[in-house]
Amino acid sequence: MTSHQPEFDSAGQERGAANGGPVLGIGRLQWADAWAGLKAIAPLMPGSVAFGLAFGALVSATGISPWTGIYASATVVGGASQISVIESIRAGAPAVIAIVTALIINARFALYSAALGPVFASFPRRWKLGLAHLMTDQAAVVALQRADDYPDPVRRRWFVVGSALPFVVVWIMGTVAGVVAGPIIPDAWQIGFIVPLMFIAVMVPTLRRSEDVVALGVTGVVVLLSRGLPFGLNVLVGIVSGITVGTLWAEWIDARRRRRGQHVDNVAEAAEHEAGGGM
Amino acid sequence: MSIFLIFTATAVGTYLIRISGIVLLSNPEKLPPRLRRALGLVAPTAMGAIVVNSLFLDEGQWRAFGAWHLAAAAAVGVALWKRSSGWAMSLGAAAFALLLVAGL
Repeated sequence: MTSHQPEFDSAGQERGAANGGPVLGIGRLQWADAWAGLKAIAPLMPGSVAFGLAFGALVSATGISPWTGIYASATVVGGASQISVIESIRAGAPAVIAIVTALIINARFALYSAALGPVFASFPRRWKLGLAHLMTDQAAVVALQRADDYPDPVRRRWFVVGSALPFVVVWIMGTVAGVVAGPIIPDAWQIGFIVPLMFIAVMVPTLRRSEDVVALGVTGVVVLLSRGLPFGLNVLVGIVSGITVGTLWAEWIDARRRRRGQHVDNVAEAAEHEAGGGM
Repeated sequence: MSIFLIFTATAVGTYLIRISGIVLLSNPEKLPPRLRRALGLVAPTAMGAIVVNSLFLDEGQWRAFGAWHLAAAAAVGVALWKRSSGWAMSLGAAAFALLLVAGL
């Protein structure tokens, strides 16, 4: 009588029947890991579709070429910055101001990138270069939270691509739907309201830290007080003011926490908190 | 510069930001604490600036009080109560539609 001897991969997990022949040149275990990534990010996908729809509708309402809007969603992959570019252009801002404002909004990706460095460290360079483009706020937090479940870097990178790639695909599909539906939406519906509504829905549930509230309050006041600035610069001035005051406040709070022996977030924890909102 | 080129420049800059830590930083704790705190505040300030600018101003002038403000207040209330983006989005949109139907 012979007993079945299960095979194990480098992560110590049983390969079993799932690891049969390759499909489309990709091993079945890798498909399974990618599927696990897709399931991990699936609950966040409706938000991506809705945000893509909002951006697509805004593109349509502004009279920008639909292809340019879809191109922006595929290449920038950052909804807030894409909307800020459109708002800057509507305000008559020079290109450099539109670009700088968008890049400051996207500076948050540097935090995710720093936290993901160790997660991606053992990936081949071409994988690092490709996955970096797919790192939305949501994909970054899923990768950070689940990286420890995949000690094998091959399996980990397939999990990451399985979560990040479909999320970007539905974002682009949402944009396409928005630019198609945009022209048939009556003006009376005031579709522009979806911009503040979307950001309220994404941002407000994540507001827990006092530094977030302080920075947000300063930003709001400065945006309104500096409304007379040309080229929509009040948005950029508001963001920089809020970050500056909020950072000083956070340093004071962290110093107080240390004096009391309380926990202070490391980079990965800060990135996970940051990724609670945004796209 | 055309809007196509503006988006292209934004895409290139954003990609360089995205790749920065993955390629250059093997130990994230090397990130200077002040920079880490500042980056952690980008999302709420950026989104907050866009909300305030679009909600209270219309092409640089004060937006007349009405459905936008009331529906936004409802969305903020639901977001704080349920801590859910989906609920805030759905009920905020429903409130806005009802206010428009009511003639506000």
